[in-house]
Amino acid sequence: MTDHNHNPDEKPGWADTKGFRNVFLGVLMTACVLSALAGFVPAFQKDHPHFAAEGFPVFFALWGFAAFMFIVLAGQHLRKLVGRKEDYYEERE
Amino acid sequence: MAALIDVFVQNPAVILTIGALITLVTPRHLASLILLIVTALSAIKLYTLGLGEYGRISLIGEELTTLRLDPLSRIFAVVFHIAAALNIIYGWGQRDRAQNFATLAYPAAALGGVLAGDLITLFIWWEIAAITSVFLVWAPGTRVTYLAGMRYLAIQVLSGVLLLGGIVLLYRETGSINFDFIGLRDANGAIKFSALVMLLAFGIKAAFPLLHNWVQDAYPKSTITGAIILSIFTTKLAVYSLARAFPGTNELIYIGAVMTIFPIFFALIENDLRKVLTYSINNQVGFMVCAIGFGAINGAAGYAFGNIIFEGLLFMALGAAMFRTGTSKATELGGLYKTMPITMGLCIIGAMSISAFPGTLGFVTKGLIIDAAGGAHMLWIWLVLLFASAGVLEHAGIKIPYFTFFAHDSGKRPAEAPPQMLIAMGIAGALCLGFGVYPDPLYALLPDQAAIAGYHPYSPYHVVEQLQLLLWAVLAFAVLVLIKWYPAEVPSTNLDTDWLYRIPGRAFAGWVVGASGATFNALWAIFSGRVHAIMERIYAVHGPEGQMAKSWPIGFMALWTAILLGFVLVIAFFA
Repeated sequence: MTDHNHNPDEKPGWADTKGFRNVFLGVLMTACVLSALAGFVPAFQKDHPHFAAEGFPVFFALWGFAAFMFIVLAGQHLRKLVGRKEDYYEERE
Repeated sequence: MAALIDVFVQNPAVILTIGALITLVTPRHLASLILLIVTALSAIKLYTLGLGEYGRISLIGEELTTLRLDPLSRIFAVVFHIAAALNIIYGWGQRDRAQNFATLAYPAAALGGVLAGDLITLFIWWEIAAITSVFLVWAPGTRVTYLAGMRYLAIQVLSGVLLLGGIVLLYRETGSINFDFIGLRDANGAIKFSALVMLLAFGIKAAFPLLHNWVQDAYPKSTITGAIILSIFTTKLAVYSLARAFPGTNELIYIGAVMTIFPIFFALIENDLRKVLTYSINNQVGFMVCAIGFGAINGAAGYAFGNIIFEGLLFMALGAAMFRTGTSKATELGGLYKTMPITMGLCIIGAMSISAFPGTLGFVTKGLIIDAAGGAHMLWIWLVLLFASAGVLEHAGIKIPYFTFFAHDSGKRPAEAPPQMLIAMGIAGALCLGFGVYPDPLYALLPDQAAIAGYHPYSPYHVVEQLQLLLWAVLAFAVLVLIKWYPAEVPSTNLDTDWLYRIPGRAFAGWVVGASGATFNALWAIFSGRVHAIMERIYAVHGPEGQMAKSWPIGFMALWTAILLGFVLVIAFFA
């Protein structure tokens, strides 16, 4: 096992720079917009959708965004119900 | 005798088992080499066998088919060999005999189950898998892992007992022990009790909802290599068994759908990233169970194949970080990308693959399941599977690489993963991307070739749908991080169903042991008191001071005559 000490004077890594963050967000938002626009192109639509929702051009974008938001914002409250101290079982077994 | 030996040595599972046993007596530094050579020999045997049924032996008037290689068992057998080889490479140089033995004996048992043509053979391998795998749980050698191993073993053996019960009931009903389609219901639509017992046995190993928690209890407590091996075989053997015996069982659709959903929330709040991946196993097996319910065996088998590779890659990448830092907790990791860039890159390939980004193994296999839900016109199940796909992205696609390699800087600057780990992860990553770009060789292995014939994963709408779903989910993550609403990790233990048997169950078991001990002691005190009183009475009569002592020889004679008479009467009664 190797664990080198962190040098406080070292430069921030590439992923910690503002430039990388801006590029990442820029590429992500562009890709999101393009994928949403692609949903409006008839050639990218299903010929025989199984459900009406599939005919809605940005259905998958909205469902993905909403599902992720719900999972994180609602799911974190589960911790209040089931969260215990880290050594919960060690104390009792 | 020669014929019997021939039956065994042509079985790849037996070849692997023999290889595992050899490592118990050979020098430790040769173990990895021996394991890899034996795995290669087994793979060659599998390849040269060809489809068919082999290894028939008669046992108590029944004919067993110890080896059946058909398209369904073949795809599982192939991926089990790939996984076994990757695990051996990843743990190259490992010297612990028990772990080296289990590294191959446990996959061998799972393979034996997959290749079993009858239920007796399945049961035998099923139990061997339980016993060999517990060595991996015990490997760290602490009290905590000992207790976890005992709980694990109890649950696995319970599954085996239920399987045996199911086999007996099924044999009474049908007179057959063939491992083929069983189905949950009879011709009148009533649930068959034998099938229900068997489904429960499979369900325990597949970690159905409420029966799932042995996975989280046992797997993350194993060693780094042990957890990776454990994560692969038991649940996939169960998936195979369900696909073999219960395809098209409607109930499995709903069970699978629940399995895809609930682990997402537990994974979200879990701090131990290896435990997050065990919840991911539940979620991933849920997709496969759903596919079996739809009767989409290609989806179940294909996704099992893919999952073994990309979930294994995630376990390996996290294991490498743990090997270098000594922890798998999100609160103690972060910022490792600076010194472990190759591991980080391979982890992201695994994360993208499990999230099913186009161009990866996950995309070309998961689509088979989502399409099956569409084809069945089950809108709610389809929506649930899409919702769960966003959940997979959250806990396996983002949380694992983000908290390990990015997020807050832990200050740890470990060296890159050792070469053997990088090679194993590199092969897994190459398989993720290779099959993702060119899935034809994988599709050629799928069991239902008629169904896969017209399937095109890279149709424009498939790609657009999936990109919309995933990219916008990533956008949601970026928004939550930017506005600081993404929850920070907290060191904690989260209660799950194992709480029931670890706290109140354990207390109840302790009470039962105490109460039965006290009852025994009380009964023994009464019994011994009576015996003591009788002995005192005899002593008073026959002892040196007693009446009978005056004619001791006569009394002694009478006593022995009575004892002998009683003895003869007892023999005469039973004779």
